[in-house]
Amino acid sequence: MSIEILKRKLRNSLVFTALLIGAFFMLFPFLWMLFVALKKSGHGFLLDFEFVKPIYANFLEVWKNSSFPFSKFFLNSLIVAGGGAFLTALFCSMGGYVFAKKKFWLKNIIFWLMLATLMIPGMMYMVPQFAIVTQLGWINTYKGMIIPHVANVFGLFLLRQHMETIPDALLDSAKIDGASEWQIFKTIIIPLSMPVITTVFLLSFLFQWTNFLWQLVVNTPDSTKLTLPVGLALFRGQYSTEWTKLMSASAFSIIPIAVLFLIAQKFFIEGLTAGAVKE
Amino acid sequence: MIKGKVKENINSYIFLLPFLIIFLIFLLLPVFYSFYLSLHKVSYSTDLYNIFSDMKFVGFKNYVELMKDSHFWWSLIVTFYYAILTIPATIFLGLILAILLNNKLFGVSFFRSAYFLPNVLDILVVGIIWTFIYSPHYGILSRTLSAIGIETFSKEGVLANARTALPGIALAMVLRGAGFGMILFLAAIQNIPKSIYEAAEIDGAGAWQKLWYVTIPLVKPIILFLVITGTIASLNAFTEIYAMTQNGGPFTVTFMGEIQGATKLSGYYLFENWQQMRYGYAAAISYVLLIITLIFSLVYARVLRSKK
Repeated sequence: MSIEILKRKLRNSLVFTALLIGAFFMLFPFLWMLFVALKKSGHGFLLDFEFVKPIYANFLEVWKNSSFPFSKFFLNSLIVAGGGAFLTALFCSMGGYVFAKKKFWLKNIIFWLMLATLMIPGMMYMVPQFAIVTQLGWINTYKGMIIPHVANVFGLFLLRQHMETIPDALLDSAKIDGASEWQIFKTIIIPLSMPVITTVFLLSFLFQWTNFLWQLVVNTPDSTKLTLPVGLALFRGQYSTEWTKLMSASAFSIIPIAVLFLIAQKFFIEGLTAGAVKE
Repeated sequence: MIKGKVKENINSYIFLLPFLIIFLIFLLLPVFYSFYLSLHKVSYSTDLYNIFSDMKFVGFKNYVELMKDSHFWWSLIVTFYYAILTIPATIFLGLILAILLNNKLFGVSFFRSAYFLPNVLDILVVGIIWTFIYSPHYGILSRTLSAIGIETFSKEGVLANARTALPGIALAMVLRGAGFGMILFLAAIQNIPKSIYEAAEIDGAGAWQKLWYVTIPLVKPIILFLVITGTIASLNAFTEIYAMTQNGGPFTVTFMGEIQGATKLSGYYLFENWQQMRYGYAAAISYVLLIITLIFSLVYARVLRSKK
């Protein structure tokens, strides 16, 4: 019996070591980024511990850089991701509600059209969306970056699926009490769907925060609305050998998302894997 | 009664309208508009502001040109190669991690988060960090390897060598993406009833046999799902190429008599045509890619159905 226990202990510690090594390899790029971001200029490639003083000096320099103002890029990213996520969550909730609880003309046709667009790879949209945004005069604007990605069909389906489980009796009794559609939506549907709305909000935030290609396409290099990834790409064009600065600039994009993920992990994982579970 | 119905319709559409308008303009219209653009060519006499309203109709000329374009065919080959490099490795690594995590161990939830975390991080940034790691001479990879006598990457690094550039990018993306498969596999494995394993044990199955005959068949739907999402990701791949290479290089490969970029995937080739303001041609490329995606989806749908 004791040999059995010993065997299991040995096995478990082997598995644990393997997991630890795996975690090291997968997280190594980010640890390395942080390490280099703290180093003195020119020491990026050296395996020493020559850190800048104060330790956040590189961050500060990048944050206040006059030709590549990362404080401005950060703010722009926050506006694009936050605004986009808010509008997506709101519009998907409103749409999800009527798809879950109402009958209306063309409901099935609209539903199938939405389903069909889910199959289309995002790359396919770049040229026509760019043409549309150009003709609307939305180049170098927040709305040009945000609006084309607000109609998130997947988010709407996710919310519809959840809202279908809200009992009709609840809505009917509110209606008898004289509540308007908007009041029912605001006081019953939204509070009862908050976990799923949070998921849609966070996923949209993540999507808009990292939507590099589209933000590159709708901004000219002199735009005042440049976001973090686009700013970083331009910054690299100028300072391709300044690895310590480049890594501190990278951290501005990575750290907020990593923190957000660690706080709201459950929502991220549920949302990101929802597509597979339905299969 | 009829009045109530009309009212419900109006009410519903008021709620749906914001979503619907954006959907129609930015998701449905582009499908048709893209086809319209693919039949046109930018006329260079026009100014930037009217570029899309002044395009010239050329019929199917863009498509004919595309079929003769060696760069386009090459980009499809590279895309396929990238899919082969990333999809099986991502599935394999995800499955291994899930099996390891399916133990009662100290720190399991930490590992779960740690492995999943890279998934949510910006591909551009991940790519830039890896470019640094892969640098020639002083990059941490080349330093570590030359310390144990491997000098393969000392001179050129990983990304300037046509043979290793795309595998290098693929490795970075596999390590970033494996946690996604892991979560799906882990959920599926935990749903497999213990009794099935116990029955297999009674029949004398060892650990490998249990994996091969019990676990893998039961997680097949997830493998298929990862193949589908992986295919779409390869057709969409752009940012990692942009971050880690110079315009899809190195340019040392010859195909159909022309020099090709070793990492120029179809997504990047599409972007490049857009950048050169060849909007009609770029639209034609996206249409062909769309058709390829739809063919894949149909094949997968059939595979899925035959499984049931």
